[in-house]
Amino acid sequence: MRELFFLQPDILSALARGLVVSVQLIIPSAFFGVIIGVSVGALRVYGNPVVKTVANGYVLVFRGFPLVVQLFIWYFGLPYIGIYLTPFVAAVIGFSLCSGAYQSEYVRGAFLSVKTGQMLAAQALGFSRIKMVLFVTLPQAFRRALPGCGNEIIYLIKYSSLAYMITCIELTGEGKIIASDSFRYTETFMVIGAVYLVLTSAAAWLLRRVEDRLHLPGFEQYS
Amino acid sequence: MADTDPILRIEHMTKRYGDKEVLKDASLSINKGELKVLIGPSGGGKSTLLQCINFLIKPDRGRIWLDGEEIIRAKGKALYDYRQKVGMIFQDFNLFDHLTALHNVQIGLVRVKGMNGNTAKERAVRELDRVGLKDYMHQYPAELSGGQKQRVSIARALAMDPEIMLLDEPTSALDPELISEVLDVIRAVRSDGMTMIMSTHQIGFASELADELIFLEDGSIGEAGPPAKILYAAESARAREFCSKITELYGSSSS
Repeated sequence: MRELFFLQPDILSALARGLVVSVQLIIPSAFFGVIIGVSVGALRVYGNPVVKTVANGYVLVFRGFPLVVQLFIWYFGLPYIGIYLTPFVAAVIGFSLCSGAYQSEYVRGAFLSVKTGQMLAAQALGFSRIKMVLFVTLPQAFRRALPGCGNEIIYLIKYSSLAYMITCIELTGEGKIIASDSFRYTETFMVIGAVYLVLTSAAAWLLRRVEDRLHLPGFEQYS
Repeated sequence: MADTDPILRIEHMTKRYGDKEVLKDASLSINKGELKVLIGPSGGGKSTLLQCINFLIKPDRGRIWLDGEEIIRAKGKALYDYRQKVGMIFQDFNLFDHLTALHNVQIGLVRVKGMNGNTAKERAVRELDRVGLKDYMHQYPAELSGGQKQRVSIARALAMDPEIMLLDEPTSALDPELISEVLDVIRAVRSDGMTMIMSTHQIGFASELADELIFLEDGSIGEAGPPAKILYAAESARAREFCSKITELYGSSSS
């Protein structure tokens, strides 16, 4: 029976439940993280000095505060000013904003790598600044940022495990409960770890596909 | 409007970076269909002057008239509209790396002029055909030679139906054997009646086609006149010296 511990229906369903919650946390957080990252990255490069300062301040704070502390603030801190978030919503907000701060760094670098001559050419054709960013620099920057952004999504998959600290019971949270009930810490967390490994591998494969899909001559990534 | 009214006129254009004055009180005017060529040593202000004309560099002082109308509030929509009428060709081509030759030409029509995709595509194909690159329309910039890239950039500018084109050393970044294909295209565009201001060291080409050579040095227009005069009988010693050097280097006849 000992070997079949993880095949027990209740254990299996607890893990499955946790996995579903994890995926539900990861997908919107990754999505919003990329959206925030691209927007903030663009503002940090093309914004006016005030906008740049605000955007840089955001990155400074959200990269500088430990993620757990950020989650605590969203979940335990906000009620003091009358805002009550569910654990799930607090976790998604925390992850998205933290991930977005990191993403913006990759995106910023990618925007800066677009040759300035192309921006001059766009302006000379009569592009407004915003159209220039949308149609000329962003499509290039996005391609160049993709490997870095993918890396950040892999991180996100793993730090989503922090959600259980604010009582959003996802995969790691379920694992913790199973482990404390059964005292099988090693086996339980080995299995949990393996599930994360599967998730990150799947994400890496998917991101690779996207990179291949978006590949253009002249945009080779040498690896 | 009389035929002699200049299509573009600039007056007292001045630009300084810190305490270095890169453009000093430059004035010029050009009539429809004319080709004026800026010559002079590197760092003499040729690029700055051209980029001030379409406000890629904001001049500190100076006035610009296009078609007799002064460009006063050079920002927002007025600026974007004005720039559409002033085509620009860069030394480094500056094609959009993520777009095929066709889309490089098409994007301005769609995103700036608001043309619908199919009409824009037809127009883009026609312009690429005009520069002899219809067969290359699905290639990306990374797959084209320097000469081909520059021809695509000329097609891109022409597609916008500019009233005047500014060419900033269009052949300086090219291998010698690719220069003539670009010059041939410029020659053809010129004979179609396009008004152009061009900076170049291709003195043979300039003397053959230019209506006027303008010698620019240390940010100011030293001397201007018909090619034969500037090249062989310039008044200032500095212009004479420069012209004899450059004629020696690049040949006196167009090759």
